[in-house]
Amino acid sequence: MRQIKASLFLIVLARAALAGDRPATAQEVIAAAEQEGKLVIYSTTDTIFVGPLLKDFNSLYPKISVQYDDLNSTELYNRVIAEVAAGNGSGDLLWSSAMDLQLKLANDAYAQAYLSPEATHLPSWASWRNEVYATTYEPIVFVYNKRLLKAEDVPHSHACLAKSLSADPAKWRGKVASYDPERSGIGFLLITQDSRLDPDFAATARAYGAAGVKLYTSIGAMLERIQSGEHLLGFNIFASYATARQWKDPSIGIVYPKDYSLVMSRIALIPRAAKHPNAAKAFLDYLLSRRGQELLARSALFSLHDEVEGEMTASALMKKRGGNFKPLPVGPSLLVYLDQAKRLDFLRRWQRALGTK
Amino acid sequence: MLATATAILPPLAIIVYQSVLDGPFFQPSAKLSLSAFRFVMADADFHRALGSTLLVATGMTAVAVPLGALLAFLFVRTDLPGRRLLEPLLLIPIFLSPVVIAFGYVVAVGPVGFVTLLFRETFGTAPWNLYTIASVTLIAGLTHIPHVYLYTASTLRAMNVDLEEAASVAGASTARIALTVSIPMVRPALLYSGVLVFFLGFELFGLPLILGDPEGLLVLSTYLFKLTNRLGVPSYQLMAVVAVVIMAFAFPLVWVQRRLMGGAGRFVSIRGKGVSHAPLRLGRWRWVALALVLGWLGATVVIPLAGVFLRAFVTNWGEGVRLSEVLTVGHFTELLDYPNLIRGVVNTLLIGVVGGALAVACYAGIALAAHRWQSRWAKVLDYLVMVPRGMPGLVAGLAFFWVFLFIKPIAPLRATPLSLWIAYSVVWLAYGMRLISSALLQVGPELEEAALTVGASRGRITRDVTVPLIRFGLLGSWLLVFLIFVREYSTGVYLLGPGTEVIGSLIVSLWATGAMDTISALSVINVVLVGLGLLVALQLGVRVNE
Repeated sequence: MRQIKASLFLIVLARAALAGDRPATAQEVIAAAEQEGKLVIYSTTDTIFVGPLLKDFNSLYPKISVQYDDLNSTELYNRVIAEVAAGNGSGDLLWSSAMDLQLKLANDAYAQAYLSPEATHLPSWASWRNEVYATTYEPIVFVYNKRLLKAEDVPHSHACLAKSLSADPAKWRGKVASYDPERSGIGFLLITQDSRLDPDFAATARAYGAAGVKLYTSIGAMLERIQSGEHLLGFNIFASYATARQWKDPSIGIVYPKDYSLVMSRIALIPRAAKHPNAAKAFLDYLLSRRGQELLARSALFSLHDEVEGEMTASALMKKRGGNFKPLPVGPSLLVYLDQAKRLDFLRRWQRALGTK
Repeated sequence: MLATATAILPPLAIIVYQSVLDGPFFQPSAKLSLSAFRFVMADADFHRALGSTLLVATGMTAVAVPLGALLAFLFVRTDLPGRRLLEPLLLIPIFLSPVVIAFGYVVAVGPVGFVTLLFRETFGTAPWNLYTIASVTLIAGLTHIPHVYLYTASTLRAMNVDLEEAASVAGASTARIALTVSIPMVRPALLYSGVLVFFLGFELFGLPLILGDPEGLLVLSTYLFKLTNRLGVPSYQLMAVVAVVIMAFAFPLVWVQRRLMGGAGRFVSIRGKGVSHAPLRLGRWRWVALALVLGWLGATVVIPLAGVFLRAFVTNWGEGVRLSEVLTVGHFTELLDYPNLIRGVVNTLLIGVVGGALAVACYAGIALAAHRWQSRWAKVLDYLVMVPRGMPGLVAGLAFFWVFLFIKPIAPLRATPLSLWIAYSVVWLAYGMRLISSALLQVGPELEEAALTVGASRGRITRDVTVPLIRFGLLGSWLLVFLIFVREYSTGVYLLGPGTEVIGSLIVSLWATGAMDTISALSVINVVLVGLGLLVALQLGVRVNE
């Protein structure tokens, strides 16, 4: 009996602690949000990753009913510009991993400004004009098949990967996977960043070409085929998806490249066309708050909040893996390659290096 | 006529208009320009994609039509063993989403698929490559056999056996009867289905998307998909150009088809008398024929489905994995946590059963209105219904998304399954209509004329003569449309949102982020639901073997 009482007491205590851990949203915003009573989120993040997050938000604000639209990144962008043009409102909060397209929306005046009180816990690179906010810290990694690739053969940097590919092209032939920059916007963003960060990018690209790298549009297809052994290794893969997969299947191996690991982020913004802007503000604050970030980390989406602890956080990553993480700054520099001529020119050079054209 | 035109023309107009602009049509900065055409025509990938599309479409037609005709003859006219039992199974490839099939093939006969590994262990090598144009063509051909089969079989059934019996009495062999009597008599059905399979070849999306992915194989629809990202921001004008090109191929085909069909009276064979027939004997060829049918079913149904089912119940697969150690039912229990996935399952059923029946009612209405209508407008209507079929489902879905967004009075429908139903019905209009008019074509005018002579009104003739005569065609169409709607995946992608989830579009959407566990579980549910639907339909008396 005493034990039961004690555990009941603990539960009550935990509840109280959780309840105390509320986002710092202003009272009048919460009141207005509850008045609005609804929130429409357009997101590229699978429902599977955010289920707990949405449930918790709902327990925090039971008066706001959340509608979560799971879209792919180009679709999300398309839908917003078309809906705004039709003048009939759009989503209330846009949350997408296509950082460049999100920035373009803000740059083209589709976003509204909101200074989130939770923004103080973010690094300085993680927001722009109080319109767009980075919400996660997702390193870009190599993923390999532990059953089929021996530990000593696992490359630990981009240079090392290029070297082993060129050293034994026969062994790697058709066994390396990555995004196709031509068909995937994210893939394009990643490879252009590689070209900026890798001092020997041309040689690396040639090595990819020599190994006959297989290019995909979908991260799921890549992970699936690395898991099955059809491919041995994939590069430019989100650590978040890989980790979630690893929790289910231990044969997935993850390498944080030592020379540099690019860090991508899911970007949130509130469009001007939002019908429930206050609900969107409450959700944005929640997403950036310690409480929201803890749940994100638990879903393998790495937290960038400075106070959140645990393995899936920016601070833990830097402590454990050293300081070579290169977050992609949230700002207009993301827009460079949305220029048509530059984009097509980069693709031509990429294809020439691969030797496919 | 007018209603048909209002449903078909707005999305078409948007696409054509979009193709001659230099930006999205709804942005004020967009100007009239042919730059999109210039860009596409100058793009080497476009020519490559066009070439392989023609190759795949031709190849799959060459595979599907003869085999489909053969199957129809075997099942309808001969004493093939077990034909009553097997016939419902013939339809299975139609209602399997190509995305599901392709995914299943990867798990089964991909480079490290379980069949491949077994084969390699036994024979030392597995001499095939799944990721080639040839494989895509062959799989597409094999999976489109049922389309030909349905058209041909329903025509054969409606056809009098007198001529075949006469040939049989005169001593002709079964093979000779098939080649010189039966097959020539079902020429309209074969031509229609041939042209449609060729069209479907232009629209093929799921198979090349998944099987062509690692090798970068392109067909027009995947090229179109690639254009979405080519310029970083959506390039609707380029997509519209490709859609216009595809439609430009569609029109001459309809014209050719109409020419070939001239003098439909030649094929009329339901005359005013009873029909009964004894099956033609195959003799010792019975077992060869059976082996052929089973072999085809094995290759197109059993192998990919085994792959999908396997994937749905394991956490992991491939080289070096012992499957017994990775079994799970977790993928299914996870689905329950997501209301959108559950809604997807419900909506899929709803749109298949109710939507399918409504669509067939509409199709039949249009077909009957045009039936025996000797007017130039009948011709226009005939071309009109073919138009949406020429649009890739992806583009048609996008066009409907715009229609529901920008035409204010119907905007509230966008978040309901009704918007999906309209899009589906229009996209599959030609398809359903062909089946109905193929059956109508077999009805001799003299039965209707007889009714007319005794004083029946036009409506009464339709109700009491024409419709009862084509009732099996109608039931067959409903079944077919049900299966097609449940399977459909590309049209719903752009309309996808709360309230309009369907399994097919959810799978495409999930594919991008890689929730393979969910995809495989949803695929299995899709297959099981449709299997059950088929059983119920059979129980209710929709006898496909009548």
